[in-house]
Amino acid sequence: MRLLLLLLALSLTALAQEGPPPDLPPEVFRIARELRCPVCQGESAAESNSGVAVEMRRIIAEMLEEGKTEAEIKAFFVERYGDWILYEPPRQGVTLWVWVLPVAGLLVLGLGLFAYFRPRRPLPMELLEEAERRLKEPPA
Amino acid sequence: MTPALLGNLGVSLALAFSLLGLALSLLAYLQGDGRFLKGARALVPLAVLGAVAAFIALEWALLTHDFSLAYVARNHSLQDPLWVTLVTPWAALEGSILLWGLLQTLYTLLASRKPLDPWRASLVLAVLFGIQVFFFGVMATIASPFATLPNPPADGTGPNPLLQNHWMMAVHPVLMYLGFVGLSVPYAYAVAAMATRSYQTWVEETRWWTLIAWGFLTSGKVAGMWWSYEVLGWGGYWAWDPVENASFIPWLLATAFLHTAYVQQTRGAFKTWNFAFVTLAFAATVLGTFLTRSGIIQSVHAFAEGPVGPAFLGFFLFATALGLGLLSRVSREVRDVALFHPFSREGALLLGAFFFSGWALVVVLGTFYPLLVEAFSGAKVSVGAPFFNQVSAPIGVGILLLMGVGPLLPWRRPRREILRNLYLLLSALLLGTLLALLRGYTLGASLAVGLFLYNTLAVGLLFAEGMRARRMAGLSPLSFMENRKRVGSLIVHFAVALMALGIAFSQTYRLEVEKTLYRGQAWEVAGVRMAFQGVRALDEGRRFAVEALLSTDRFGEVRPRLHFYPQMQSPLPAPRVIYTPGNDYYFLLMDFDREKGEWASLRLIVTPMVLWIWVAGGLMALGTLYILWPASRREETRGVSPA
Amino acid sequence: MKGWFWLLLVAFLAGLFWWGMQRNPRELPSVLAKERRPAPGFTLPLLPPYRAEWGEAFRLEDHLGKKPIVLNFWASWCYPACYEEAPVLEAAWRRHRERVLFLGVNTQDKEPEALRFIAQFGLTFPQVFDPRGRVGVDYGMYGVPETFFIDGEGRVYARHAGAIDEATLEKYLKEMLP
Repeated sequence: MRLLLLLLALSLTALAQEGPPPDLPPEVFRIARELRCPVCQGESAAESNSGVAVEMRRIIAEMLEEGKTEAEIKAFFVERYGDWILYEPPRQGVTLWVWVLPVAGLLVLGLGLFAYFRPRRPLPMELLEEAERRLKEPPA
Repeated sequence: MTPALLGNLGVSLALAFSLLGLALSLLAYLQGDGRFLKGARALVPLAVLGAVAAFIALEWALLTHDFSLAYVARNHSLQDPLWVTLVTPWAALEGSILLWGLLQTLYTLLASRKPLDPWRASLVLAVLFGIQVFFFGVMATIASPFATLPNPPADGTGPNPLLQNHWMMAVHPVLMYLGFVGLSVPYAYAVAAMATRSYQTWVEETRWWTLIAWGFLTSGKVAGMWWSYEVLGWGGYWAWDPVENASFIPWLLATAFLHTAYVQQTRGAFKTWNFAFVTLAFAATVLGTFLTRSGIIQSVHAFAEGPVGPAFLGFFLFATALGLGLLSRVSREVRDVALFHPFSREGALLLGAFFFSGWALVVVLGTFYPLLVEAFSGAKVSVGAPFFNQVSAPIGVGILLLMGVGPLLPWRRPRREILRNLYLLLSALLLGTLLALLRGYTLGASLAVGLFLYNTLAVGLLFAEGMRARRMAGLSPLSFMENRKRVGSLIVHFAVALMALGIAFSQTYRLEVEKTLYRGQAWEVAGVRMAFQGVRALDEGRRFAVEALLSTDRFGEVRPRLHFYPQMQSPLPAPRVIYTPGNDYYFLLMDFDREKGEWASLRLIVTPMVLWIWVAGGLMALGTLYILWPASRREETRGVSPA
Repeated sequence: MKGWFWLLLVAFLAGLFWWGMQRNPRELPSVLAKERRPAPGFTLPLLPPYRAEWGEAFRLEDHLGKKPIVLNFWASWCYPACYEEAPVLEAAWRRHRERVLFLGVNTQDKEPEALRFIAQFGLTFPQVFDPRGRVGVDYGMYGVPETFFIDGEGRVYARHAGAIDEATLEKYLKEMLP
């Protein structure tokens, strides 16, 4: 009985179903992966199954058929949602720093290691060898 | 006795015993009186009893469908299968805190049984009791799993459907928590060591704890990746989601710590670094739980927000301040002089540890950058997967390079003999990369091939070296397998290289395409030919499933599904994954003709080499187990080469 | 150097995270409202009960620049927010219908459910039907419900995300009306 009711419910909703969704070529997913889903905000527009993401993928497919380039498609969404919709932070403006800081960190690391390994007054050879010997000794 | 009563009793007792234990251990340290320590030790199993009672109470409430408990009403329903009921304790916030608290008491019990000098023992117990006080305190006050409802409903809503789709729900959270909680023991030992100024032995004493915690964290991460891949319907295994990052950061720091601890055990160096790494690893763990439960960053994984945010923030700040405060004193008093040449094994391990912790810092930067920008300028920015992928790639390459050459380098300074091995490794790297490039792969994928060959050769050379040492000592070369630490770590390193190869290929060559098929229509794509035969409906009690029947030429009948849950507005796709050594074929049913079942909209994702990621994960777990497996007496006394 | 540096760092993190907890991480600013852009036009079919009065399709451009418009995106599955604000909107429409146009856009929904919702609240302001949600994307929508306030010159004046209450609604109307 429950099965029948559920089927009935589903078929009622079919009255509003528009017909099969359009086919989406791989290019659509490639671009959608670089846009954020506004609803499920942790996911990209390619992964999310929310209504807005489905619509975004359709829009991308339609725009690709019209011959628009990837840059134009991204600009379309940025115009409506702001820079935030780009999954990859742009390398300019306030997000420039998130790209620069890791490189700066690497430089700092290099400098730190250089300072760490800079030859200081070397310890006399006897001390170094004694240290080595003590390490190799069996525990008392 | 109702579940609520038992549960509240258990939580209160655990809290009371932990508070008392904390007080007694601190008194033991401050007064130097052994009787306080004895008392504190006696309270450890009592706290365990309280926690176990509370956990049993929660399971009892779930199994008897006791909807008078708010937690049960929100997360359980009469339709749930038995296994879902049993794992519901960690499906939501309050229960997950209970699980954490329970595991913490068990770890405290195991740690307290190890004999230790009274000064440090009292501090170790104090730290562990302190952590317990926090978790049970939160449960007793703001996030009780045993809060009751005045008007219990007849049935509940059940757990989030995403958590019901796959049995991995039973495994992944427990593994992760076992790893997180496991880090508390080295942290406690480190705090005790820093406070009592006994800087050397703590690393040796906690080496098994560290390895076990790391092993659980690694298995938990891989299990989570696989669960995400199998269940979530997007054909990926890692999204750099803030909560994923929150558990990745402790893993990175724990890996760094694992390797520098090894140097302190064998060479006595890196004392300050080890204190730093273990503090950071534990602080990162607490930061992770704060991030997941406070709602400061939007994530698909986050628990529903509640009042626990400020409490976890306080815990994080306290644990970090304590560790860093003690660390600043240590770094003033202990001088870590570089008694080794940079091009030595110590040098490689130190550099490797920096790469791991640098990676952790970059992930922290990316995860919290939007929060920082919003705090200072109000603008909303997004730092998504492309950022993390691009900055992780060079770091990953650096780590893979070090992983191969590091174990081959001698201690303290480079020696002439290793030049031959270095040339071999370099040739393997160049040859692998060139061959892959010639075959037409991208630069990134080719480099991954080269690094895989490089690391496999390195592992092979180390095996050969180990067996040669045994033969020269008059033993059978196969007895090298008894050197569990060496062999196990070689297995893990090989697995890491394999996983890197799988990740590189699956990220570079992913194909994703969506098509609507009519009944009887065939579709040929990516080397597979499939025909849509129709849809079928199934009633499964708690959910309603619709299956699409696809007959394929290579894989027989494939049936991706859509699951309709009453509490969710849109259906959840349940994908069917076909694993082959080359490619993975991921079939998703996105939509179907609800009137007559004449058409179905399918998404196919083809990713190469994903299977090897899971194989590598399994190998990592095996390698870790190999190291941990208790060695027989005979093996222990026959050690030949230095570790 | 070491001691107070770490203390400062911990204090900074404390402040940052505390501030972080006070705000809603999901909130997104509306580009249209921030820049006071002209409202994007659209033509959508009206739901059956309103066809007699407004025709078969509703063209927004015909109404821009004449009166302020309150544009409300909703769906029948958005519970409880849309259910809370529907009576508020209906009451405001009845108060201000001479001077302000209220327009509801049913987005990503199914027609029978939408009709049921309208009947439940007795909504008399015109409702259009956008099952795909294309207009929502044009407006930078990130969830339902969202209410846009378009001023008398056809520019987006403000955007309110989430269920709207009477006080906020009246405030914006007062600011937009001369």
